[in-house]
Amino acid sequence: MSHMHIPDGVLPVWIVTAGWVVTALLLAFCIKRVSSIELKRKVPLIGIISALMIVGMTLEIVPIAYHINLTVVAGIVLGPALAFISVFIVDLLISMFGHGGVTVVGLNTIIIGAEAVLGYYLFQLFKEVMGNKSMFWESSLAAFLSLFLSTSIMLGVIYISPEKIGSIGHLVSGTGSDTNGQRLLEDGINFSRFAKTVFILSPLGWILESVITGLVVKYVYRVRPDLILPERA
Amino acid sequence: MDVSAIDYYANHGRSFLHGARALSKIIFAGLVIASVVISNSFYLLLAVYFSLLTIAIWTRLPVLKIVTIAAYPAIFALIFAAASWNGSWVSAGVIVLKALSASLAMVILIVTTPYPDVFSSIEPVLPRIITEGLFLTYRSLFVLLELTDNLVKGLRVRGGLTHGRYIKNVVNFSSGIGLLLVRGLDLSERFYGVLNVRGYSGRISGGGRHEKTGVNDFAAIVIGVLIFGAALLIKKNGELSVYDGCMLAISLAALILSAAYVVLPNTWGRAWKR
Repeated sequence: MSHMHIPDGVLPVWIVTAGWVVTALLLAFCIKRVSSIELKRKVPLIGIISALMIVGMTLEIVPIAYHINLTVVAGIVLGPALAFISVFIVDLLISMFGHGGVTVVGLNTIIIGAEAVLGYYLFQLFKEVMGNKSMFWESSLAAFLSLFLSTSIMLGVIYISPEKIGSIGHLVSGTGSDTNGQRLLEDGINFSRFAKTVFILSPLGWILESVITGLVVKYVYRVRPDLILPERA
Repeated sequence: MDVSAIDYYANHGRSFLHGARALSKIIFAGLVIASVVISNSFYLLLAVYFSLLTIAIWTRLPVLKIVTIAAYPAIFALIFAAASWNGSWVSAGVIVLKALSASLAMVILIVTTPYPDVFSSIEPVLPRIITEGLFLTYRSLFVLLELTDNLVKGLRVRGGLTHGRYIKNVVNFSSGIGLLLVRGLDLSERFYGVLNVRGYSGRISGGGRHEKTGVNDFAAIVIGVLIFGAALLIKKNGELSVYDGCMLAISLAALILSAAYVVLPNTWGRAWKR
């Protein structure tokens, strides 16, 4: 649940717009950064990794409403800039299938993109600290921490826009009274409950995704080490 | 997400929406989503959802399948609604209806429009690398889904996925994903080679089946404008919200009539088949 399955129209327009603007800027930066590394050659690679992420997202674990993202795997294999571009493509495509709101594609890209980028850098860090053995623990830890951080970013986005969530209840309740509105706008109620729900449901998913990420990276490192450590190519 | 079914519906459907240009349907979906964004009225959102269900029936595609695909975000909307619970079922309903309506609008767009048409329509507003990435991702998706299917079957047949051995299952399944990744990367290199042989120059053009704007485009845009207009009017003038019920009744009547038209094969159904 590290990315937002929040429906269209729940978050305020300003935060949704800000999400698109920041995403556009980051995409421009990433495209400029990768233009020197054979962009044409990398496009098919982005396509395959993006497709793999979408396939991962179709594998839903219904009781905890979690699906694997494979974003950290994408970050490790593609590198931060290409992984961010890949995440945007994935978000845009899945929004067309009704998986996540269209208006929140910008925010989702920031959150999942952060997961991929953090995953990449944390993996590099753990690799230096722990040494190149099986890559399981390095990638698993990187995935777990990235998921925790990206979920925190997601909650941060919701935290700065609670009045909108409250105002839905206020408007549709039809009371319009200040007392009721005040009760609904006591944003701590909604946000804390939402945060609790997320932090109760998510860790099980994080552990599962971390284990899967670790095992995937371990397998790929055994079969094609050049994909995990490009310097060995 | 049944991507194969979605692709089949988009390419083999014969409804008025299938005959409209991708851009008209993108405008339609955009207007519906805009009305979902600005509206907080439970009755109006329900009317929008019923209207979209009616349009889904008009697409002559399996409605239940389309509704099921579009209902996926409801799982997460329910979690969000439960987390934001303020004692009112109506406010929870608003959140769920927003998710369902926006999702159904997008699914109607994607089940009536082949993907190259959608991508080529949005190409002018996206960087080239993104458009190409979209094309190649969509194409790779079908290959990977087939590989995944074969992989799961292979794992089951060889005892790699057995009941009760959950840790071993996770290990085998993860290795399978790793295998998909490696094979996918090989595939991407082959893609690149084939594209180069065919004269790839960094640009992939879309299908563009319908070049001319016609009645179908007009119909799609008018429906979108009507939905958005109603939402905007009620948003601007709160007094008009008393007509929410009327809109709900009209949309419900349209839904029942459309459903009856489809489920009565011995009467109107003949006309439908023609």
